[in-house]
Amino acid sequence: MCSRMLSIILILFSTKVLADGMVVDKVYHPYVLPNEREFEWRLMSRQTDANSLIGQRIAYGHSISDTVMVEGYLIGEKTETDDFGLQAYEIEIRWMMTEQGELWADWGMLFEVEKNHASNDWEVTTGIIFEKEFGRTSLTMNLFGIYEWGDNLQEEFETEFRLKYRYRWLPQVQPAIELYTGEGYFGIGPAFMGIQRFDGQKQLKWEAGFISELSSSGKDHSFRVTLEYEF
Amino acid sequence: MLKYIYYLLCIFLCFVSQKLSANTTQYHLTLENNIFTPSELTIPVNEKVKLIIYNKDKTAEEFDSFDLNREKVLFPNKKTTIFIGPLSSGQYEYFGEYNPGTARGMIIVEVNNAN
Repeated sequence: MCSRMLSIILILFSTKVLADGMVVDKVYHPYVLPNEREFEWRLMSRQTDANSLIGQRIAYGHSISDTVMVEGYLIGEKTETDDFGLQAYEIEIRWMMTEQGELWADWGMLFEVEKNHASNDWEVTTGIIFEKEFGRTSLTMNLFGIYEWGDNLQEEFETEFRLKYRYRWLPQVQPAIELYTGEGYFGIGPAFMGIQRFDGQKQLKWEAGFISELSSSGKDHSFRVTLEYEF
Repeated sequence: MLKYIYYLLCIFLCFVSQKLSANTTQYHLTLENNIFTPSELTIPVNEKVKLIIYNKDKTAEEFDSFDLNREKVLFPNKKTTIFIGPLSSGQYEYFGEYNPGTARGMIIVEVNNAN
């Protein structure tokens, strides 16, 4: 119990580091189903007093075993001065390390490699995914380490921490609170997710969140939407 | 470098802190002709249990339950393990995604009389 508490404390304090760009993205769950295939679309919008940024991702994913999911992303961004364009590519591997419900908590790992489309800039992300059920609620946490380098990037190591506490009210409406930290950013806000099942393995999942940055006095709001069609 | 060590330490402590689920009581379900048997299974309250489902059919099924927060593929002619609980008393429905009309069942959680 002591080591468990210590690890949680370490995780929380380890988030005083940083990440470039949008910290608000998605809180990953550790679960993978065999034969799972999906299309995914994400929208992230961040507005501050000085700037606004919109990012979109489209992805196709396929589980290659009972516990490993591989997903490829095309990433686009739009700023106040630039129109939407292809910004980067990414390959992501998610590994379900433990059977759901077998241990005290469920664990997974994430590995990502991202390359900028127009330049020789790279980003590698890896980290742990945690989920624990408390009755009809679930606590999900992600701790990621990010290493960046390239022609236009200063070589650096950063960390990000994401947290979601969700109430499984109805399949279609599961309200949540989300928290994101990284590079001096500390944001928290309401979110929800839902799922609608169709025939067989076909199902549509949605997530949305409105996150406000708390550590600065100015305006800094992020809005995120994710749609996943699994088949 | 220190950050990296710190990060590895977090991961290590997370794993060390896990408690393996020894002595988990086992319960058995069978899927045959797209029907779960028994259709109602009673388990004890506030106890983690190991549910072993034997899919005797020639096709895969997907065990799905929002109540239990579980989703698992049941491969044909194989046994699949699903860990559920600890749960409070009540009734928890589940179904097979490919045959939701017939492949349905319920886990009943009671203080006593677990079968």
